[in-house]
Amino acid sequence: MNSYLSTVFSKVGSLLATLLVISLIIFSLVELMPGDVAQMILGQSATEESLRELRQARGLNDPFFTRYGRWITGVLRGDLGDSIYMQGVPISSILWRKVGHSLFLALTAFIIFVPVSIVLGVIAGVKEKKAADSIISFTGLATMALPEFVSGVILISIFAVRLKWLPIVSVIPIGQTLFQNLDILILPALSITFVMFGYVSRMQRSSMIIVMNSDYIKAARLKGLPERYIIFRHALRNALLPTITIIGMNMGWLFGGLIVVETLFGFPGMGSLLMTAIKTRDVPLIEACVLLITVIFALSTMTTDLLYGYLNPRIRFKGGQR
Amino acid sequence: MKYVLYQLKRHPLAIIAILVILGWIFLAFAGPSLLSYTYTEMDSTFQMAPPGVNNHLLGTDALGRDILSRIIVGSRSILTVALFTSILSTILGIILGFSAGYFGKAFDTLFLRSMDILMSIPPLVLSMVVLGILGDSTIASLTLIVSIAFIPATARVSRGVLLSEKSQEYVQAARIRGESHVYIMFAEILPNTVGPIIVEATARFAYSIMMVASLGFLGVGLQPPTPDWGMMVIENRPIIADAPWTVLFPALAIASLVIAISIFSDFISKVLIHER
Repeated sequence: MNSYLSTVFSKVGSLLATLLVISLIIFSLVELMPGDVAQMILGQSATEESLRELRQARGLNDPFFTRYGRWITGVLRGDLGDSIYMQGVPISSILWRKVGHSLFLALTAFIIFVPVSIVLGVIAGVKEKKAADSIISFTGLATMALPEFVSGVILISIFAVRLKWLPIVSVIPIGQTLFQNLDILILPALSITFVMFGYVSRMQRSSMIIVMNSDYIKAARLKGLPERYIIFRHALRNALLPTITIIGMNMGWLFGGLIVVETLFGFPGMGSLLMTAIKTRDVPLIEACVLLITVIFALSTMTTDLLYGYLNPRIRFKGGQR
Repeated sequence: MKYVLYQLKRHPLAIIAILVILGWIFLAFAGPSLLSYTYTEMDSTFQMAPPGVNNHLLGTDALGRDILSRIIVGSRSILTVALFTSILSTILGIILGFSAGYFGKAFDTLFLRSMDILMSIPPLVLSMVVLGILGDSTIASLTLIVSIAFIPATARVSRGVLLSEKSQEYVQAARIRGESHVYIMFAEILPNTVGPIIVEATARFAYSIMMVASLGFLGVGLQPPTPDWGMMVIENRPIIADAPWTVLFPALAIASLVIAISIFSDFISKVLIHER
């Protein structure tokens, strides 16, 4: 177990190193953006005099690394800077609520697609080359590269425009919270589900096929154990491991999907906030959003890595040896 | 060739998929000359007309522009960018992945570390931010940025197939003959790894379409007046309740193309790898 702990520490260490490099990359990328921050704050009518004063006051004339250092130490203290477009509102005052919304949306999608894909993947794997398998495999293949806004548009046309069961847009009325409007989550969450279903169910199917053909399952069959018992007690435990990895690897797509879905439904999350930031060229807000997405993405990848190690006894007991 | 025909007979879905892809390619080339409206023409008497009215087969949008001609002209840009992207990202992936796997040691470690860093920003977020910052995307900038975002995926596949070939005897033989590293990598090893690389490239084509469509949808793709499928969806999103066809048909166009390419790439991987 000690060696497992040391893997955890080394993973956290390399995570911090990666994040430091990433923060530098994000900061230099935004530097490339055409346009002058002082001009953006004061508008076109600003005099040369006031522009110069503002640049001086905000330290815009300082060398690159001085400004990067100021930004990153601010971030570490929890100060993400002020939004330019929203007239100097501190970013941390708007960001966290939106991040909460996005995470809640992602969680809803997760609760839908993980069990559905695993169950259908197992069915397809067990009934290999039968009708059920063909239908599930084809659906998975079809949805795997389907952009989220395409599945979203189709869902809106059916459930919101034609049947009128669910709202067409996912905005929260002023003065209310997300929890008073849970119905706005359903269509966005389902739109994300499609792509993830493709990946996860196909992975689950193929790992199930491999496991079901292995010797220890044959031995269990020869012992005369009931098929249901073999599938759930013997096969599924091993067949789930690759699926966990694939879920972790596709978290990146999930985050991209969140931006697309939030834009499509007008959902007030971190993705649509980043969209607004890019459209309004709001430098500090872009930096804060991208950095935060990277942190959340990295944390979720690390969690799946560690979970994989924990669930797989071969790694758990000799984590230190390679 | 006989083998391919035999495989086609066993996978009827693949035939449909190939026909759909060829159909789109044909429309992209010949489509605009067959249409009665151009993609910018505004029919002021028939705005938001439902499909079929006044020769607008798929209806018109809020400005009275013909949806069908915009979809067909839009197929040109998405097919071009997606094709170039899958080719460029595959080539860059081969060069980087092969060199890393071949030279190994410090170079390989450096390669893996930088791929980890590139992978730690989700590909769509990365391309969207970079394109958004640069502004006014062109076919070239779109292709380049999406290809870079795809490099971790393609380079890792190339590195993997190179590592499985590296210890083969013919590689040793070439080394003893004194061939150059470049010759060994690209003239000796590459021809033997063509199968998995083609499979990866066709799958990449489907992802490229998904990515380019999503970037267009997010408004950082090709700029108007070039019609773009993703952009058409977000443009007409506010009128979805009154004129669902303005949104639904571009979405179905993307769906048909992406699904056809996915089925095609699945077929290719079955033919080239699994069932040999």
